[in-house]
Amino acid sequence: MGTLMVIDQPPYGTWAGREALDMAFSLAAFDQPVALLFTGAGVNWLRKSQETTGIGQKSVEKNLSAALIFGVEALYADATACARYGLVPDNMVTGVAMAENSAEVIRQHSHIAFAG
Amino acid sequence: MATISLQNYTLVITGAPYSSQAPQTALSFAKAAIAAGHTVDRVFLYGEGVHLASSLSAPPSDEHHWADQWSRFLSDNAISGVACIASALRRGLVNDSEQKRYELPANNIREPFIIAGLGEWVEGSMTSSRVLYFHGGD
Repeated sequence: MGTLMVIDQPPYGTWAGREALDMAFSLAAFDQPVALLFTGAGVNWLRKSQETTGIGQKSVEKNLSAALIFGVEALYADATACARYGLVPDNMVTGVAMAENSAEVIRQHSHIAFAG
Repeated sequence: MATISLQNYTLVITGAPYSSQAPQTALSFAKAAIAAGHTVDRVFLYGEGVHLASSLSAPPSDEHHWADQWSRFLSDNAISGVACIASALRRGLVNDSEQKRYELPANNIREPFIIAGLGEWVEGSMTSSRVLYFHGGD
């Protein structure tokens, strides 16, 4: 049940992921159940210690760390995408559930949305 | 003949006109849905989609004017057209009150579009029977 926001865009270079996160926070603010699934290049959102001063953007890490506090129910990461981008628990932010089968995560939600 | 269950839709457009097909596809869908007896509750512009609400777009006269066509369609069918305020302000789409708030030199929201928060999308997600997204691709 609830909405699954899918983030399949990298954290920098496009605002789509950032705007997907805003959508998730907005649902949570209205007490609507919502979870996030990071897949494809989107798993790079979950990398620990992002250094963004060189590209003149705010790091998304702080926004992301607020997700569970603001009422987002779960952060899922597609395991295959994590392997492809060299992400392992040691270099990932905390609180992420590894999804071996993203299709199953999608099936567990009644609404699926992408920001763009 | 099979009975068609009538739906009420919220449409979310995240692709901009002239850089994606999203507004055109969404308009074709909306017209077809209404012609078939369905209802469109609300059109929500998000991300790059907010450019559809610009009153300043002026394509050549032999091209389709998507902002104009959309605004006519919304007015003719009394459908609410909402541009997300955060997406709009980032991209230079402002209404009269935001112009005053940020002391900007102009405003450019095309009627009947209004600017409002993501709460409008949340409400659509809660109350419409279907929410359809029209993305720009990539």
